[in-house]
Amino acid sequence: MTTYTEALRHESSIDLQTSKVVRRKPRFRLWIVFSVAVVIAFFGLIFSRISLDQTAFVLEDLEQKIAEEEARHGALRVEVARLQSPERISKLAQTMGFVYPATFIALDAPDEAMFADLENHRIRSPVLQAAQP
Amino acid sequence: MARPRWRVPDVRLALVGVLLVFAWIGVGIRLIDIQAVRADQYAEQGLDQRIKHEELAAVRGTIFDRDGVELAVTMEAVTVFADPAVVREPEITSQLLAPIVGLSAEELIQRLTAKSRFVYIARRLEPEEAARVRDVVETESLKGIYFEKEFKRVYPADSLASQLIGFVRDDDQEGIEGLEYQYQEALKGESGSQIIERDPYRNPIPQGQFVVEPPVHGADIVLTIDREIQHAVETALVRSLEETQANSGTVVVLDVATGEILAMATAPSFNPNRRSTADPVTFRNRAIADMYEPGSTLKVVTVAAAIDQDVISEETLLLLPSKYVIPLEPDPKVYTDVGRRSEEEMNVAEIVARSSNIGTITIQEMIGNEIHYNYLSAFGLGRKATGNLPGEASGLLRPVEDWCASTCGPSTAIGYRVDATILQMASVFATIGNDGVWVQPYVVKEIVRADGSRERFHPLKRPVLSEVTAQTMQKLLRGVVESKRGTGHRAAVAEYTVGGKTGTTEKFLPELGRYSENARVASFIGIAPVSSPHIAVAVMLDNPKGENAEGADFRFGGVSAAPVFAEIVQAALHRIGVVPDVP
Repeated sequence: MTTYTEALRHESSIDLQTSKVVRRKPRFRLWIVFSVAVVIAFFGLIFSRISLDQTAFVLEDLEQKIAEEEARHGALRVEVARLQSPERISKLAQTMGFVYPATFIALDAPDEAMFADLENHRIRSPVLQAAQP
Repeated sequence: MARPRWRVPDVRLALVGVLLVFAWIGVGIRLIDIQAVRADQYAEQGLDQRIKHEELAAVRGTIFDRDGVELAVTMEAVTVFADPAVVREPEITSQLLAPIVGLSAEELIQRLTAKSRFVYIARRLEPEEAARVRDVVETESLKGIYFEKEFKRVYPADSLASQLIGFVRDDDQEGIEGLEYQYQEALKGESGSQIIERDPYRNPIPQGQFVVEPPVHGADIVLTIDREIQHAVETALVRSLEETQANSGTVVVLDVATGEILAMATAPSFNPNRRSTADPVTFRNRAIADMYEPGSTLKVVTVAAAIDQDVISEETLLLLPSKYVIPLEPDPKVYTDVGRRSEEEMNVAEIVARSSNIGTITIQEMIGNEIHYNYLSAFGLGRKATGNLPGEASGLLRPVEDWCASTCGPSTAIGYRVDATILQMASVFATIGNDGVWVQPYVVKEIVRADGSRERFHPLKRPVLSEVTAQTMQKLLRGVVESKRGTGHRAAVAEYTVGGKTGTTEKFLPELGRYSENARVASFIGIAPVSSPHIAVAVMLDNPKGENAEGADFRFGGVSAAPVFAEIVQAALHRIGVVPDVP
């Protein structure tokens, strides 16, 4: 037969055990979760800052490349204009033996119907068809 | 109980402790001062060191010809400079760099050893040249040589239309001549700015402050100039100057229907890319800046006015004396015709073809000064032809009230007492070619702004002659070239009908206040093809000398200027694609 004191001690131990289960286990898990979350957030923040900085560097590089390409485009435009210079072309033509024709032959421009015929002929012609891109 | 006595080590320890406490208190106070009390001030100082306010230069607009080919363009260039205090081996550096930058080794040594922290080595090198310099600097590890990006104005067609286009000042790229000057405001654009955080190596700090106000680039200008025609004109002009030994030559080609200036050239010219070696006299755009007395080319206005007023027709016969004398004291004024010494009956067509002074004076007397003046004014004389070109002269057409009763009418009738630019005279003939409608000449077709908006030029127009009168005048001008005794037969072109008028004017010497005995201004101005006029071409040669292969005197417009006209007409009409009207 269980005495009152034993019963009390039994009850107390149960209470103590219960209280341990109820109070200590959840607190430990929360701390773990919280700590992991904080660490993840910390590294996530660092990672996002690094990513942003890297993107900024990439952007800077791209802007630099755009500026370089634009400068190159400008230089090429000037080069094209220089190459198209009538003075340069006429000098080259003279060295290559080109001369103005002694007679000028004007060709009457064919009317639209003739152009249409020409187009049809071109399409029908197997040789020209092969030559067309 | 006895109080324990302080021992020396304890006192030292206590002192150190006290000192440490004070030190920590000091550090704490400073920390609070930096982090709390003056935090904003220090943050601002730090930001000031990192923040850079930089100007973003606007790119100067491009000048295009009528086909969209660049005549003046701004490109990126590289300026090379040095800090002589950092340059270690000036002799070796100068020997390596001098041949690339176009300086002598001695000159470069002088610069590299100057007592200064900044010297230019080369300004505005093109990218390829700069790359060569950079290669040498990097491979030879030369110290104290630096590179900076700048803009450079380039004229890809070199001397083509150089007087018209003008040029910019090297230092600040501001237009100082020609269209570069006239359209400076439109071309230059507006600089922008940026506020950016940079590290000590001038790299942008990511996530730092970055505020940009982008520049507004300069507007592009599209001209009416046709590059091919301009080149043909300049080639013909240079050849003519070599042949006739004229001091200078000027040509204008106009589209008669639109007023577009297709070509405007003065020879000798210069290359704006190398203008430091050019003679400044060649910068002058004589087509608009120089005035001259048009001489016989102005007779067309006298005759056109009389026909338009129904005073005469092309068939009207006039009895012309051998000379026309105005009795002035002490010396009477005598007008004569070249190659005619007796009285002769001529119709109006012959008067124009043979450029008769007396015939034209007779016609002028028939219409009177006031009508004559009204027509001269209506043709645009005495006013700037375009009104928007730099240095453009208005010419000189005195008010009719100021005309004297004796020689003013007769002299004006044959092209004296009136000063005009060659562009104004081209415009007179273009009006005749355009069936009597005067169209304001212009050279800037449109301005294309950075936002894409376009500002087109719309020329003024006004009728001056009736269509019938204009067509009669076209016929008369054709007679100058085609008739047996016409003064302009050398202006004939194989495939096209052309019409025009020769001009030979005694050159006025302002420094002596009188006309030269030998020097002449020779000109030929005309239209082509006469069957359906497309262009008006004006050629003027200043003081041509010598004779052609046939022994004809180059001082006459029909001998020196007319062949240039013919060459230009042929090239221009081929370029435009006008079908020949002579079988």
